[in-house]
Amino acid sequence: MSSRRAFMRSGAMALFATGIAGGIPAFITRAAAAALPPAPYKRNKVLVCIFQRGAMDGLMAVTPFTDMELKKARPTLFMDPTNSSGKLFDLDGQFGLHPGFASLQPFFADKRLAIAHGVGSPNNTRSHFDAQDYMESGTPFSKSTSSGWLNRAVGLMGHDASPFRAVSITGALPRSLYGNEEALAISNLEDFALQTKGNPMAANITAGSFEELYEQTSNRLLNRAGKESFEAMKMLNPNDIKNYKPLAGVAYPNSPLGNSLKQIAMLIKMNIGLEVAFAENGGWDTHFNQGTLNGVFARNVRDFSDSIAAFWNDMSAYQDDVTLMTMTEFGRTVAQNGTGGTDHGRASCSFVLGNAVQGGKVYHQIGSLAKDQLEDQRDLPVTTDFRSVFSGVANKHLGINNNSVLFPKWEGKSLEIIR
Amino acid sequence: MKFARPFCGWLGLFFLLVFSAKAADEIPYKKYGYTPAQAAARLIDRFSFGAKPGQVAAVVAMGIDNWFEQQLEGNQPNAALDKRLANFKSLQLNNDSIVNRYLNAGQVIRLATRNGLLNRDSIQADQAAYRAQVRQLMEQQGYLPIQELHRELVVQKVLRAAYSNNQLQEVLTDFWFNHFNVSATKNQCQQFIYTYERDAIRPNVLGSFKDLLLATAKHPAMLEYLDNASSVSLRNAPRMYNNAPRNARGLNENYAREVMELHTLGVDGGYTQADVTAVARALTGWTVMQGNFLFRPRMHDNEAKTILNKNFPANGGYQEGIDVLTMLAEHPSTAQFICTKLATRFVSDTPSASLIKNMVKTFQSTGGNIKEVLRTMVHDPSFWKKSAPHEKVKSPFELVISAVRATNAQIVQPFQLFNWCTKMGQRFYYYQAPTGFPDRASYWINTGSLLNRMNFGLAFASQKIPGVRMDLAALNNYHEPESAIDALNVYSNLLLPQRDHSANIKRLIPLVNDEAVEEKINKASDLSANKQGETMMDLNKTNPAEEKISLEKGSKTLLSQVVGIIIGSPEFQRK
Repeated sequence: MSSRRAFMRSGAMALFATGIAGGIPAFITRAAAAALPPAPYKRNKVLVCIFQRGAMDGLMAVTPFTDMELKKARPTLFMDPTNSSGKLFDLDGQFGLHPGFASLQPFFADKRLAIAHGVGSPNNTRSHFDAQDYMESGTPFSKSTSSGWLNRAVGLMGHDASPFRAVSITGALPRSLYGNEEALAISNLEDFALQTKGNPMAANITAGSFEELYEQTSNRLLNRAGKESFEAMKMLNPNDIKNYKPLAGVAYPNSPLGNSLKQIAMLIKMNIGLEVAFAENGGWDTHFNQGTLNGVFARNVRDFSDSIAAFWNDMSAYQDDVTLMTMTEFGRTVAQNGTGGTDHGRASCSFVLGNAVQGGKVYHQIGSLAKDQLEDQRDLPVTTDFRSVFSGVANKHLGINNNSVLFPKWEGKSLEIIR
Repeated sequence: MKFARPFCGWLGLFFLLVFSAKAADEIPYKKYGYTPAQAAARLIDRFSFGAKPGQVAAVVAMGIDNWFEQQLEGNQPNAALDKRLANFKSLQLNNDSIVNRYLNAGQVIRLATRNGLLNRDSIQADQAAYRAQVRQLMEQQGYLPIQELHRELVVQKVLRAAYSNNQLQEVLTDFWFNHFNVSATKNQCQQFIYTYERDAIRPNVLGSFKDLLLATAKHPAMLEYLDNASSVSLRNAPRMYNNAPRNARGLNENYAREVMELHTLGVDGGYTQADVTAVARALTGWTVMQGNFLFRPRMHDNEAKTILNKNFPANGGYQEGIDVLTMLAEHPSTAQFICTKLATRFVSDTPSASLIKNMVKTFQSTGGNIKEVLRTMVHDPSFWKKSAPHEKVKSPFELVISAVRATNAQIVQPFQLFNWCTKMGQRFYYYQAPTGFPDRASYWINTGSLLNRMNFGLAFASQKIPGVRMDLAALNNYHEPESAIDALNVYSNLLLPQRDHSANIKRLIPLVNDEAVEEKINKASDLSANKQGETMMDLNKTNPAEEKISLEKGSKTLLSQVVGIIIGSPEFQRK
C-alpha cells in the first residue's frame, strides 16, 4: 500500500510539474516544491451533496407558473416572470426560477444545471424526522437499515481507503453516512490536528509519543487507525487551512453553507482522496410568512444559490471531477396556510450541477395542480422517486452500477440526468 | 424519586450476604490463570465505567464474587450523587408535567397564537424582537425551553456514570437504552427521553427481559419514536379519524417491524411481512395522551390475527398486545439474539458460540432473567480467555467516564464532556436510527475519532476542559515519586491497573528524563493557558447553579502531559 501511495504521490508531482492541473492554490505548489506529500491519492470523482433540512418549498423555488390553480391556491405567494408579479427567471415557458437564484441561473442557461421536479419518497410520511431518515438510509419503508446510502456508495466504489474519502462538514455524522465505510464528520477542518495550542514544540513531542505508541500497539485496528490519523494529519496543514484563499473573484457567503462548501473546496483541491462530501443547509421549514421577493424563503434561496455558485466558481480547475446534488425531505402544501406560509407536503425538487450534467432542463412529470389531481387533495404528488435521481447521479458520475445494493428493494429506473 | 433509595442499603447488604452464601460457585478466574487483582481489574473494566484509584485492591479485599453480586443487586447508596441530581428541575417530573412545561419553539408559537397571546402577523423568523417576545411569553407562562430538558438529560447521564456506586446498573442502562434506542432528534419523542430511561429502562436493567420489553413498548418515547402512537386501524373505527392524532392515517408498521427485528427476534429470527402487519394490527390503539400511555379501543383492530403461527382470537383488546409482546420475549430467537448482544457488549466483538449457547440456556430456563444470564457469562471460560486481553474498545462515552474515574476528577460542567463525546463520534441520546450505536470497535475507531481521542487525553489531563478538575498529585497521596521513572510507573499503574505498561513507559522515559523537554512543555502550557484564560471559564457555561472553580496552577506540569499521553494511548482505549 505504501509503495502504491508513493507512486501516486510522484505521479501527482509530475502533474504539478507540467502544470496540467491548472488553478493550483499557492499552498499546494509550495508544498510540492518542498517535496511534502500533498497529493497521495489519485484524482477521483467527487460527489457533493447538500441536504436542505426542513423541507424546501419546491413550488416556490421552481414555480410551474403557467398553472393558474397554483395562483389560486397561493394568493399572496404566487410569482411569475412578469415584472409586476415576481420576476421569476423563465426557464422553459412553464417553470420559473425564484429571483433569489440569480447566481445559479447562468449555470442553467449554459446547461450545466439541471432540475428534477416532483421528487420525493413513496412513503407518504410528513414528519421531517421520518422522511429524512428514509431519504438518507435510502430505504423508504425500513427504519432498521443501519447504513446510509452515501456510505454504501463509498463502499461500492471500493477505492483506496483515504481517511478523507467520505467527509461531512457537520458536528455529528449524518444518517446518510452511517455504515461500514469510514466516514469523517468534522465541522471545522482546522480542528484536524493534535491540539496543544500555542507551542509547536509541545505538539511535536506529543505527536511523536502518540505516533510511536500507536505504531507499537498489538491491537490491529488501533494500530491501523493510528497510522492513518498521523498520515492524514500530515496532509492537512492547519495554517494552510486558516490562510486558504479561494480563486480570485470568488467570495463565499459567510453562512454555514458557504463555510461548509468552502471547506469542501479545500479538500478537493488538496487531492487527498475525497469522493463523497456532505453539507447541510437549514431553515426551510417555512410555516410562517414565507415571503416572496423578500422574506425568509428569499433569504434562504440567496444564501443557497450564492454559496453553490461560489463553490462552483472556486472549483474551476476541478469542475470535470465534481458533481453537486441537493436534496430535501419533502415539499410543501400547494395551498398557502393561514400564516402566510406553507405546511408539510410531498414532492419537492432537486438541483444537479456538473459539467457532464444534461442541464438547462427541468426533468418532471408534473401535471395539473387542480385540487383533485393532488396527493390527498393537497400536495404536489411524487412523480419521481428520489432514488431515481440519486442513483442516476451515482451511476454516471461515480460509476456505481449496483443499484440493488445502493438502494435495496428498489426496482425503479435511474433518471438519465448525466451524460 | 426512583434513583434515591439509600434506605435500601442495609437491606441490600443483608441480601448480599445471603446471596454470596448461596452462590457456591465462585467465579473461576483462578482456573484460567488470573491473580485476584487481575480478575478484579477485568471485572471492573467490563462491568463498570472504569476503575477508580485503589478500586482493584478494594475489590480484592471485599471478595471478587461479593463485588460482582453487589453490582448485580444494584442497591448501593449514592447520597452525594443523589444530592447533586436533586438540583435539576426536570429529573423528578412525570410525563404530564414535562409536556406542559418544556416546549420547543413550534409548540410555544402554536400555544401562543391559539391563546391569542401572539399576533400571527407578527411572526417572523430570525428577528430579535420576535425572539424576545417569545422569551417573555415563556417566562410569563412558566414554560421552559426544551433545551433545558436536554441539558439535564445529558448531565445526569454523565454524573451517574461517573459517580454512581451501582456501576453495573449504569452500564446496563446505557446498554439497554441503546438496544431499545429512541432519539432526541425526533421532535415528537424528545420530551420523553429522560423518563424513558428513568422509568422504562433503569428499573428493569437487571430484571426480566419481558418487563423491559413491555415497559419500553408502552412508553410514550417509543410509541412516538417508532410511530405506534399514530397507528390506527381503519377497519372498525372510521369515525376515529376526527379524534385521532393529527398524523394518524392508518396502520403504521414501524414499531411492529423493529420490535421483532431489533428488540426481540433479530433480523433472521423467523418472522414474515405478514407477521409484521399482524403485530402492527395487534398494537393499534396503543397510543399517547398528554404524555401518558393510553389504549384507545376505537383505534384498535378487533379482528382475529395470526402471528408467528399462533392464533389470536377476535376482540383481544389491550391484552392482545401484551400477549403478543410476551410471546416475542419468550421466543427462542429472542434468547439467541439478546444473549449474543450481551456477550458482544461484555466479552468480545465476536463472542464464541459455546458462550452464547450457555447464556441462552440460562435465559430460557429463568424466563429471561438478565442477572442470571450475566452470572452464567462470568462463569464461562470464554469470559476469561487470555489470548485476546482487552480486545473491546471503549466507546467515546466509556473513554471519557473512565478518564474521570481513573483520575478522581471533579465534574463541574458535565455538558463539556458531552461535547467531547460528540466530537469523538458518540452524540448520545441523538443516534437517529432505531438500531442504536453499533457495538464494535471498528465503528468507534477511525482517523478523525482517534485524533479526537488523543486530543481529549491531552485537554483532559492538562485541565483545559472547562469545568472538569482534578488533582493529579492527590492520586498518589501527595507523595513525591522518588524519581521520574518512578512517577511514570506509579501513574501508569494508577490509570491502568493490572495492564502491560511496557510500551507506554518505554516511550515516556526519555520524555520525563529530559529537563529541557519539561521546560518547553511548561512554557507551552503557560502560553496557551494565558491565551485561553479569559474564554475558558464562560465557554458553554451550562448551569448557573453549578459553582465555578478557578484554574489551578498545578495544571501545567509535566505530570499532566504524561497523564494526557497515557489517556490518549492505545492501551487506555481498550477495556
